[in-house]
Amino acid sequence: MSIQEIKNQEITSSQGADSAIEMITIIVDGFEVSVPKGTLVIRAAEKLGIQIPRFCDHPLLDPVGACRQCLVDIEINGRKFPKPQASCTIPVEPGMVVNTQLTSPVAEKAQKGVMELLLINHPLDCPVCDKGGECPLQNQAMSNGGGESRYEGVKRTFEKPINISSQVLLDRERCILCARCTRFSEQIAGDPFITLNERGALQQVGIYEKEPFQSYFSGNTVQICPVGALTGASYRFRARPFDLVSTPSACEHCASGCDMRVDVRRGKTLRRLAGDDSTVNEEWSCDKGRWAFKYEHRDRLTSPLIRNESGELVEASWPEALAHAAHGLSINRAAVLVGGRSTIEDAYGYSKFARIALNTNDIDFRSRTSSDEERNFLAALLLGKSVTYLDIDKADQVILLGFEPEEESPIIFLRIFKQVRKRGLKVSALAPFTSRGNEKLKATVIKNVGNEVEDISKFALTNRSVILVGERLAEVSGALTAALKLAEQSGAKLAWIPRRAGERGALEAGAIGNLLPGARQVADPKARQDIERAWGSGPLPTQTGLSTDQILDALHKGEIEALLVGGVDPGDISASAIDGLRKAFVVSLEIRNSAMSEVADVVLPVAAVVEKSGSFLDWQGRARKFEAAVTNSLHRSDVRILSILADEIGRPINLGTVEKAAKELASFGDGSSDQKSALASLSADQAKIKEPGKNQAILTSWRLLLDNGSLQEHEPNLAGTAHPCVAVISDDRANRLGVVDGDLIKISNSNGEIILPLQIGDIDPRAIWIPRNSENSRPLLALKSATHSLVSVVKA
Amino acid sequence: MNQPISSPYSDKDLAVMDSIVKRYPRTRSAIMPLLHYLQSIEGYVTETGIETIAQILSLESAEVNAVATFYTQYKRKPVGQYHVGICTNTLCAVMGGDAIYQSVLEHLGIENDGVTDDGKVSVEHIECNAACDYAPVVMANWEFYDNQNVESAKDLVDSMRQGNPPPPTRGPDRLVTWKEASAVLAGINDGLAHQGVQAGDPTLLGLKIAKNSKGGE
Ligand code: SF4
Ligand code: SF4
Ligand code: FES
Ligand code: FES
Repeated sequence: MSIQEIKNQEITSSQGADSAIEMITIIVDGFEVSVPKGTLVIRAAEKLGIQIPRFCDHPLLDPVGACRQCLVDIEINGRKFPKPQASCTIPVEPGMVVNTQLTSPVAEKAQKGVMELLLINHPLDCPVCDKGGECPLQNQAMSNGGGESRYEGVKRTFEKPINISSQVLLDRERCILCARCTRFSEQIAGDPFITLNERGALQQVGIYEKEPFQSYFSGNTVQICPVGALTGASYRFRARPFDLVSTPSACEHCASGCDMRVDVRRGKTLRRLAGDDSTVNEEWSCDKGRWAFKYEHRDRLTSPLIRNESGELVEASWPEALAHAAHGLSINRAAVLVGGRSTIEDAYGYSKFARIALNTNDIDFRSRTSSDEERNFLAALLLGKSVTYLDIDKADQVILLGFEPEEESPIIFLRIFKQVRKRGLKVSALAPFTSRGNEKLKATVIKNVGNEVEDISKFALTNRSVILVGERLAEVSGALTAALKLAEQSGAKLAWIPRRAGERGALEAGAIGNLLPGARQVADPKARQDIERAWGSGPLPTQTGLSTDQILDALHKGEIEALLVGGVDPGDISASAIDGLRKAFVVSLEIRNSAMSEVADVVLPVAAVVEKSGSFLDWQGRARKFEAAVTNSLHRSDVRILSILADEIGRPINLGTVEKAAKELASFGDGSSDQKSALASLSADQAKIKEPGKNQAILTSWRLLLDNGSLQEHEPNLAGTAHPCVAVISDDRANRLGVVDGDLIKISNSNGEIILPLQIGDIDPRAIWIPRNSENSRPLLALKSATHSLVSVVKA
Repeated sequence: MNQPISSPYSDKDLAVMDSIVKRYPRTRSAIMPLLHYLQSIEGYVTETGIETIAQILSLESAEVNAVATFYTQYKRKPVGQYHVGICTNTLCAVMGGDAIYQSVLEHLGIENDGVTDDGKVSVEHIECNAACDYAPVVMANWEFYDNQNVESAKDLVDSMRQGNPPPPTRGPDRLVTWKEASAVLAGINDGLAHQGVQAGDPTLLGLKIAKNSKGGE
C-alpha cells in the first residue's frame, strides 16, 4: 500500500468516526438492549437472542410488513400501542418497551392467529414439497402456531406449478405473499419481472406473460422464499434436505468470490446455495454459480490416457502415463499454460513445476487474449492490492473500463447497483454500447471505440473514486497504462477484475513469466534468491518467460516442443492455437474430455472443485478456502499430480498435498518492492483503427454470463435464461441496411462470417457488438478476432 | 434510451399521456391516471396499453400489470358503454341490493362482469360506495343512482340499451359514457364538475340534527 493510500484510508475512517452512531436503549421481554438508531425492533430482539417469528422480514430487503407474523406488544414511554405491531417495520425509539410472544399473551395470541390465517389456504403438502425439512413455515408453525386449525372449508387451489422462467417454478397455492421474491428482484437485482398481481384472495406472484423472469439472479428468490412456492427446476423433487450433506465452498465460476454451500448426496452435488458473507456476496449468488455444476458428473475422465502409435488416445495405468509424460517433458524444451480456474494451490504447483521440473519461466495463466502490456500492468498492480467491495460501498464514483459487471462479475454488479439505488452512486463506463446492465446502473456510457486511451485520461476522479478494469481492457493497447496513470494522478483506487476465478490466485502464485510467487519480479536477482532459498533449489531460470502468445508462436515455429497444460481450452486463446499444440508433445491435466484431448499425448485426470480442497483468490485478492464436498473421490488435485510428475522427472517439487502447497506459498509473504521496474516497462500508444467504410463496422464483443462456457454444459434450464444472442447495431446502420430488430445480418471478414439476428441499440454508430462465446457467435474462432478490428456488416 | 415510443396510439394521445406524466415529480406516479386514460381510448386496459405505459415510464410491463390487476376499476376486458355497478355490501344488500343485482343480471341475461350483446351495458357487483345513506344504490360509470328498487334498476338498464339513460340522481346533468368517465378519472376536466347535487339531504341530515340540538346532546 502506498503512503497516499494509507492516508486516504485514514481520512475515510476518521470521517466514519465523525458521524458517531447514536445508540438507543430499549427493553425487550424485560432485558435492556442498546442498538444504533434506526434499528428495527425485530433486530434489536435478535441481539438478545429473542427470536420473533417472521416470514417477509429479510435483513437485506426493505421492510414491508406483509406477512404480519412478527406482531409484538409495544409501549413507548408508558403509552401502549392499542394493537400488537409488526416488529419488522418499527424502528426502536427511546423509552420503548417491547413484549414478544415470550412475555405477552396478547402477542402470542396474535401470532397464533396470523399463523392460522396463513395456513388456511396453504396446502400443507410438506411430504412432496422441496422445502419440507428446511421450511420456515413448517418450523414456525410448529414453534409459534396453534397446532390445530379451526378451518374446515375448501382450500383455494391454483393450477400448479407454473414456470416463471425456464429455471424457476411457482406453486401459487403455497405462496404466503411475503413479497420477498418481488422485493429481491426489484431492489437487489434490478429485474422487476415478477410482481404481486391481482388482489384479495386471488393475489399471487406472477410475471407479465410475455416477459419471463429473465434475471441472472433469479435463483436467490428460490433460496429466500420462506415456503416451497418457488422451486428450482433442476432440483425439484430430487432430494430431501435431511439426506444432503452440506459443505461450505467457493464458487469456481468467476472472480466475484462468492461464498457457496454445496449440498451432496452419495457423492453427487444436488444443489448449491449462496453462502452468507457480508463482505463479499452478502447472501446472494448469480444463477451460474448456483446452477452450473453438472459438468462435475458428465464426460469425466476416469483414467489416464496415452496416445498410442496409431495416434489413438487409450487408457493407461498411472505409472505408465506418468513415465511417458515425464519423458516427453524432459527431453524437449517445454512450457506451461494454466487455465483460469486453478485454485491458488494448484497454480502454485504449476508455477513451481515450471521453474524446478522444467527449468523455465515460460508459463502463463492467461489462456485467453492477452498482451505484454497487461503482464507488466499486473506486476505493477500487485504492488497496491487493497481495493475491496467496501471501497465500492464508499466510492464517490465508479468507472468501468473494459468491464461489463453484470456479465463478467455479477456480484460486483449487485454491489454497485445497491449503491446506485441507495445513494445514487455515479457510474461511468467506457463501452461500445449501453447494455441493459449499464442502464440499470444508470451509467454514463462513453461510446467511442478506438479512442479509449484518450477517453480514459479525461475522467475527473478523486481519491474516493474506484476504477474497475476488466481483463478485456488488455485488448486495447495503451489502455491499461492509461488507467494506471489515471489512478496515480487522481489517487483513485484501481482494481483489476479478471473474469475467471483462478486468475488472481495464479498471478500471486507466479504462474506467469515475469513473476515468481508472492509478486516477486523474475528479473530481480534478490527476489530469485528469496525463492531459491525457500525452495532449497539451485539457481532459478533468470530470463523473463514467454507469454501465452509467445509460447504459441514458439510452438508453431518448433522452438518449444513440449507443453504442459492445466484446464485450458485452446479456442479461448486463438483460432490457430490448436494447430500449434498439434505440433508439440502435450501433457494435459483435465477433469473432463475436452478439446485438449484432440491434441494431447498424455491426459491425466484431476479432481473437480467439489472433490478437492483449496482456495480461490477473488478480485480483491481475498482468499476463500474450501474443503472437498465429495470426500471419497479418487481424483486428486493438480498440485498432487504435478508433484508426482516432478518426482518422475527427477526434479521434485515436494508438494504432496494441497495443505503443503498452501503453507509454502503463504510463507513467502508479499515480496513486491520493486515498483519502478514494473512501471518502467509500461508504455503503449493506442493503435489507430481505420475508420470503417460504408458497410463496415468496428467489431466489439464480450462474453455473456450464460453462454457456451464448458462448465455450463448439460444445464438446459440455466441456458433458458441466457441473454439473447444478438448483434447490436445503431439505428443509423439499421436504416442504412434497411433492416429492423430481429432481422439477420452477416458479420464477416476474410477469415469467415457470423450470422445473427440484430438488435438496435444505443451503440457507437461505427461499431457492432456481438457475444463472444455463444451459440453461433464465437468471433475468435470464426473471424480470428474478438474486438477492435474492421468487419463487413450486411443484411443476411 | 431515448428511443421513440412505438405504439399504435395517435400522436395526440401520446401528447396527452406525456402531459399526464409531467404532472408528477416522480414519473412512476403517472401509472394510474395513464391506465384510466387508456380506458378512455380503448374502453379497457389492453396489453398494448400496458406495454406502452411501461415504455413511457421506463418500467417493466410486469410492474404496470401489477397495478392494472390490483385495482378493479381497471378492466382487463371490454365493458359496456354503460358500466353498471350494483352495491351488494351489507347495508345496500339488506335494503334490496342483492335482489336488484340478481334481477338485473337475469333481466339482461348476463353473468357478473358480463356485457350485453349490443355492447351497451355491463354489470358488476361492487363494495360499499360510501352512499349507504341512499341505499340501495346503483352506479353507472361511477355516477350515482340513489334509492333504487328492482323495477327502477331494470328500467335504468333498459334506457341505457336504448341510448337515453336518465341523468344520475347526483352528479352531472347527463350520464357520460364509460370512456368519457375514464378520461375524467385520468384528470382531464370535462367541465361538468359543478353540475348536480353534491351532498344531498340524507347526507347532511345528521349534521343538521347536530346543529339544531342544543349543547350537542
Ligand atoms: S413466492 Fe415465496 S418469496 Fe414470493 S411472495 Fe410467495 S412466499 Fe414470498
Ligand atoms: S457471481 Fe461469480 S462467484 Fe458468484 S456465484 Fe456467480 S459465478 Fe460464482
Ligand atoms: S415479518 Fe414482520 S410483517 Fe412479516
Ligand atoms: S353498502 Fe352500499 S353504498 Fe354502502
